[in-house]
Amino acid sequence: MDEKQVRLAGCFSAVFPELNTDEILKASPTSVSDWDSVAGVTLLAVVEEEFGISIEVDDMASFNSFDGFLSYLQAAEKGSQHCSIDG
Amino acid sequence: MKLIEALDILKGMKRRKGEALVCSLAAGINPLHLKTFLAAELSLLFADQTIEISEGLFGDFLGNLGRLAKADAEIGIVLMEWSDLDPRLGIRNSARWTPLELADILSTARARAAQIQQGIEETCQRLPVVVCLPTLPLPPISFVPGWEAGWFELDLKAIVQSVGAQVSRCAQVRVLSPQRIDLLSPLQERFDVESEVLTGFPYRLPHASVLANCLARLTRNPIPKKGLITDLDDTVWRGIVGEAGTDGISWDLDQHSQMHAFYQRFLGAMASEGVLIGVASKNDPVRVEEALRRSDLALSPAAIFPVEASWGPKSQAVTRILRTWNVGADSVVFVDDSSLELAEVKAAHPEIECLLFPTKDNAAIYQLALRLRDLFGKSIVLEEDSIRMESIRRSQANTEVLDSSTASPSGFLEDVDAEMSFDFSRTPLDPRALQLVNKTNQFNLNGRRYTEASWHNYFLNPASWLLLASYRDKFGPLGKVAAIAGCQEGKKLIVHTWVMSCRAFSRRIEYKCLAELLDRFNPDEIEFDYLQTDRNGPIGTFLSDVLGALPMSSCTISREALETRLGSLLEA
Repeated sequence: MDEKQVRLAGCFSAVFPELNTDEILKASPTSVSDWDSVAGVTLLAVVEEEFGISIEVDDMASFNSFDGFLSYLQAAEKGSQHCSIDG
Repeated sequence: MKLIEALDILKGMKRRKGEALVCSLAAGINPLHLKTFLAAELSLLFADQTIEISEGLFGDFLGNLGRLAKADAEIGIVLMEWSDLDPRLGIRNSARWTPLELADILSTARARAAQIQQGIEETCQRLPVVVCLPTLPLPPISFVPGWEAGWFELDLKAIVQSVGAQVSRCAQVRVLSPQRIDLLSPLQERFDVESEVLTGFPYRLPHASVLANCLARLTRNPIPKKGLITDLDDTVWRGIVGEAGTDGISWDLDQHSQMHAFYQRFLGAMASEGVLIGVASKNDPVRVEEALRRSDLALSPAAIFPVEASWGPKSQAVTRILRTWNVGADSVVFVDDSSLELAEVKAAHPEIECLLFPTKDNAAIYQLALRLRDLFGKSIVLEEDSIRMESIRRSQANTEVLDSSTASPSGFLEDVDAEMSFDFSRTPLDPRALQLVNKTNQFNLNGRRYTEASWHNYFLNPASWLLLASYRDKFGPLGKVAAIAGCQEGKKLIVHTWVMSCRAFSRRIEYKCLAELLDRFNPDEIEFDYLQTDRNGPIGTFLSDVLGALPMSSCTISREALETRLGSLLEA
């Protein structure tokens, strides 16, 4: 895992402490029973805080998996999203 | 604290085995991340316990407040926002905003404020309550421009302030300081509009973190420091009295030394609140005495005791002051303008908090006063606080008389017209009892501390009792100096807590308390829930005298044996 993936996995681990690394990489609302609306909002807030980004409401649909978050962060870094990332 | 840190703390808390601290939160907002921060902050404060925070229904502030009054919780937290006074003050509501509505909103807010005040007053009869008044900016509902405070804004804020002022007078209520929140969390960085619209959680994370930190602190205020030892030259006054002379030192505007007058006034205020103020100065004692007699001093010399002026090391002066006060170094703050002196005292007394007096930096002196206020601050000032310094002064005089007297201790106490009174009332609980329990180290049965909630809950047991002992003699009152709490199980009396102020030593008060317990409850035996601590040697010695043997944990003595021992000990 690269540094971004490690930090993102840390966010997932904070919100879903029962998951191991493999489970985090495959995590989605269907695979994680604790992933309810409150956990989803908490995960978004933790990721925003950790990466110093502000996620727009219209983009929220893509945050339904570890890969979804990762893709967003990678795209944001390339400047194709309306957000900025703190190193 | 970041949200991820709060979640990590909570992850660690799940491994704890201690009992749960149940906290009930009454709010109209969706508490979401605030709840996470709050649980994390509480788990740091209550390190052995797990934390459970219950919340009510989203948007039903008054209903949640009503439920809080009946909640099975140890701590209640009331978190108010503008929309709780009238939903039209929130942005999730679609009601019209016209100038004509403003008076009606104020009318609703007044009615709800009265209900809120009543709800808090009812709740605090059962459990301690922490209150947070609205911290978000008001929405742009009024017709005035943002830089103008119109009647609507001012009236609305007056309504809220009035609720805060009224409930803050209740014994078990603590109101979060709006000024402290303003210092820690800029107003323009508090409101998260997006989150409010999406989830009903209106706070940005940094603001939620600040609120949670302050709310948690209010649930368990740290034990205030007891004494402040200060230097004199370039501290209490500007200049070196040994060089400049009594008239050469200053604390006024003309000589640009006004902040020393500010420090003097501040020390005077603390002394009147029961903080012990002593002086450790490398100086000629005669010069110091002359300087302290100056009539324009903003600090009464009577507020200072003792004054240790000598050319010896300051650490030795501090040792003598601690002995006179009979308090531990960890209860004391030492203030000096010399980093070297601070380091010397710190090396000898590592537990003392040493603070630099920043002479010539007015702003830093002001900051020092803020820091001292936090270290010594308390929620209430009791009668005992106002007489503490004088009673220590008298106590030392009495000890000197006793040491030189040929009379027996009991004879001496008769000579000084010693009088004791005992109070067994539990409703309302006298706050002095808990204050004694949580600040006494030496004469303390087991060192056990209580929160307001656990103390209150202890006395819900109908078999529990509380004895609060007061003492006075011809030199004046010491106030309420001893507290004993326990339970009665048939003919057995169990003492769970016994503390006595060190100011009350050598007066046979502890023996009189035991005699009073025998008289009141007529038990066959008394069990002491004794536990040796690092610092409770005095009560261990006392129990050895009473028991005729070294005390063990949960030691018991029969009534007959106790009466025999008390008879001989009280006559000694």
